Amino acid sequence: MAVLTNAERIKRWARFMRENNESIPVSKDQLRAVYDAVDDFVETIQTPYNQAIPQPARGLLSSRQKARILMDVIEERFVRLP
Amino acid sequence: MASGNTLCVFTATAGVPPSSNYATLDTRNSQPVLEFDAATDESIVFEGILPSNYSGGGITCVLQWAGDTATTGDVMWTTEFERRATDMDSDSFATVVAGAAASCNGTSGIPTYTSIAHTDGAQIDSLAVGEGFRFRVTRDANHASDTMAGDAVLIAVLLKET
Repeated sequence: MAVLTNAERIKRWARFMRENNESIPVSKDQLRAVYDAVDDFVETIQTPYNQAIPQPARGLLSSRQKARILMDVIEERFVRLP
Repeated sequence: MASGNTLCVFTATAGVPPSSNYATLDTRNSQPVLEFDAATDESIVFEGILPSNYSGGGITCVLQWAGDTATTGDVMWTTEFERRATDMDSDSFATVVAGAAASCNGTSGIPTYTSIAHTDGAQIDSLAVGEGFRFRVTRDANHASDTMAGDAVLIAVLLKET
């Protein structure tokens, strides 16, 4: 899947600012740059992430399922409050 | 005597949302605030009557606001008046007056006071004593100088004679 379009990045960036409830010590532009960088980073890890998934799941799960599992692990490790 | 006189005070709960792109009413520590988005221009309208102690010196609008979550960055506020002398079914606000870039406090939740001065006459839509008016506050979120991430929360507005 290709990187997000500019409009999609803007949408996500705007939503983050709207929903965030933690202190933000950076400017809007700096936050937007994070979204650009993270989207570009995700593009670079698609292949190694897929390689990290053991067979037969690697060959049988859909891209969406693999993405949801990654999101789930990240959320449990870094986002969900104890 | 006239300069500095308080003309009107509006708190967040007095805000009337426009039909679209309106600041949303919320609470912060049980205190009503109006939240202005960081990515889309949003507005709120207040309604009043120009009191008899106005002496024609112009009106300074003092916005009491804070960063919702931000501890750095600037907000671009604009204000405009509409004299209630035309058909209520159409908006007829006078030309917008833009404030300078206003920096949020380094601690989220501590208010900043930002003043925007309107000269008498056209900038207050030629409003006269005893006349009804609407007063619109907008965050110009897509302005290049509006750099504060997250919502700007408007707490209250003071209109005083300049």
